[in-house]
Amino acid sequence: MEKELTLNSELKNNCLIMRTSGYVNNTGGEKIAAEFSKHFENGIKNVVLNFENSKVVNSIGISFLIEIIEKLNEVQGKLIFTNLDPAVEKTLTIMGLFNFAGLEKSDDDALKSFKG
Amino acid sequence: MEEYVKLKMSLPQIPDIELVAVEGLERLAKHLGISEEKIGDARILVTEAVINALEHSGQKRPKVRVEFTMTKEKLVIFVRDYGKGFKPEEIEDPNIVEKLGSVNKRGWGLKLMKSMSDDFLIESNTNGTKITLTKHLI
Repeated sequence: MEKELTLNSELKNNCLIMRTSGYVNNTGGEKIAAEFSKHFENGIKNVVLNFENSKVVNSIGISFLIEIIEKLNEVQGKLIFTNLDPAVEKTLTIMGLFNFAGLEKSDDDALKSFKG
Repeated sequence: MEEYVKLKMSLPQIPDIELVAVEGLERLAKHLGISEEKIGDARILVTEAVINALEHSGQKRPKVRVEFTMTKEKLVIFVRDYGKGFKPEEIEDPNIVEKLGSVNKRGWGLKLMKSMSDDFLIESNTNGTKITLTKHLI
């Protein structure tokens, strides 16, 4: 069964990379948003969210990511999703997130796209 | 006759109970030899349907009935609550542009269920709400 979300984060080239494992529900979304806020307050504007090990999401959890996109929009920052399961990608597409966030296959691709 | 498997459960409102339904779905798929990839959309559908029913039924102690009927070709998900019901035609589809800048960023469940399923049926009255979702697995 999908487990409670755990998260590890890394700063690379002034970019925050968050890698999740487990269910992106309300508490999972809150964890992601809290980690983001910590770095956002320190001026980080480019964020990668790697969902490779999160195959189940729900719309309540994703609504926390809309908050992140909103904050990044205000400072001309950007959120890029990577390693998405096809069903998760479809979910985010239906919700319209890729109108305001990026999508790349890997973290490296995301980092390159920030440079470009 | 085509082989089918059926699973029925009654779920109370406790945190992450929707994952029990997802687990059941995965077991049925495994039994029928259906790959993990093919039930990806169904996982999201089940999750949204159960959460939606538990959140919006308006019952004091909500519970939902969940039924899966699965063949190698098709999955039918039936979810019902016993709440106050609502008028589905009055629920507007959420829009990301409006959600950005709005306090309420939620309310995506029905839109996801409609968009991800191959067939969507909702019946709601003062005795509760029934949602039937069909997903082709081929």
